[in-house]
Amino acid sequence: MNAFSHAQSGNAYNFGFLDEYAKKEVRRAILKAIAIPGYQVPYASREMPMGRGFGTGGLQLTLSLIGPEEILKVIDQGSDDSVNAVNLRHFIEMTCPGVSTTTKTTECTLIQSRHRIPELPLTSNQIVVLQVPYPDPLVVVEPSEDKRKTMHGEADYSRLLVKLYEDIVKFDEITISHRYPTRINGHYVIDPSPIPRWDVPKLNASAALILFGAGREKKIYAVPPHTKAEPLAFSDVPFRVEDFRDEHGHRRACTRCGCTDSFLDEFAADSGSKTYQCSDSDWCDEQMLLARQTEGEPA
Amino acid sequence: MKVENIWRADVQQRVFRELVEAFSRPGAIREIGDCIDGAVAQRAVLATLMDGEMTLADPHGQIAPADWPLLQAKPSANEHARYVAASGGRAPDFQPALGSLESPEFGATVLIEVDRLGQGETSLELAGPGINGQRQLRLAGLHPDWLTRRADWVGSFPLGVDVLLSDTRRIVALPRTTQIHISGGVR
Repeated sequence: MNAFSHAQSGNAYNFGFLDEYAKKEVRRAILKAIAIPGYQVPYASREMPMGRGFGTGGLQLTLSLIGPEEILKVIDQGSDDSVNAVNLRHFIEMTCPGVSTTTKTTECTLIQSRHRIPELPLTSNQIVVLQVPYPDPLVVVEPSEDKRKTMHGEADYSRLLVKLYEDIVKFDEITISHRYPTRINGHYVIDPSPIPRWDVPKLNASAALILFGAGREKKIYAVPPHTKAEPLAFSDVPFRVEDFRDEHGHRRACTRCGCTDSFLDEFAADSGSKTYQCSDSDWCDEQMLLARQTEGEPA
Repeated sequence: MKVENIWRADVQQRVFRELVEAFSRPGAIREIGDCIDGAVAQRAVLATLMDGEMTLADPHGQIAPADWPLLQAKPSANEHARYVAASGGRAPDFQPALGSLESPEFGATVLIEVDRLGQGETSLELAGPGINGQRQLRLAGLHPDWLTRRADWVGSFPLGVDVLLSDTRRIVALPRTTQIHISGGVR
């Protein structure tokens, strides 16, 4: 053993659940992923006490990064209290004694997320870990991994561009709603995990390091801070984010906080009517607090 | 049993986080001296990253014989090793692994020990991913051949080597994507 752990009373597991060898494997892959932006580094993904596909890749990254002084935020589709987020947060609290957890984006140093990047701009003191189901954007055009690896190495994405072009021919626009293929530092194209288009521009020149972990597919990749991230598009059909305007051309607002510049989730009532609400629950709470403070002030 | 700090899991976690910061922000000097308790930074980094799965080359005799069993890494030829520990004072007299087009992660991580990071006769201007605009780096004790050889090694991305410079207490990363311009002469 070349990494002696502290014995922790009342906890039969190593700090961070993973044994130190597993962490070293993930750590070496993380460093190579940062050094080769956008390249999917293969790693020996461990069995976790949850099904593959429930965020085991992101979890292994988090557990290899985390230290006792960490302030962790776990979100699932923007929400801190949906099932996946609550379970992962509980698991990390149990296996990493001393770690604090928070729901506030402003307070955290490490964010594990499924399908969203927080609305609040990230800082250089933060690391975002995204859970990835399908890491390879080329899988839709090439079934052989060997060939895909060559295509990635050569930065040959012509077939992916043809796929996008076919969309334009059929529907007059690119119809990819999430997992939008994004080119990192002018070479590798990544699948940025199922974040909406809304979040793709946040990858570009981000202040924070963004890591991607695919546990089932055994890949780790990264977008380092201050790195170019360009969604694939054509000069005459530019990339665009989701449009939240109603039939009259007005931007829809969150029914809860009234925010008109956040990513909205759509809720359909039994009557067939639709309501919209911020997807990022911490952002929504902050906006409500702000609104209340402004109202409370004397005119 | 008294275990030296660098072999402790919690210290390795802290060193690793500094490595993450270093590689994310090339040219930024990260101080690890406080947590490694007198050990030399290069040795602490090796302790953090090595285990029985890794191959390590030691062309300049940087690693004490007593450390090899603890590191557990397999000794390997310079041109095949995943990690190379070297001395910056000596000219590079070897060719490290550069990886392949399909698997660029097999390009070596070269750990180079220099006299001093943050000041010295060599002044570098850095640009690339992880750097907002440009970053300056001064250092002492790096044989000039390293920079010319590195430029050759990283010439055809995604192939290349990732360099980690260290003095006794500090680390600085120069991943393969970092463009280096030598700006200063002797001072």
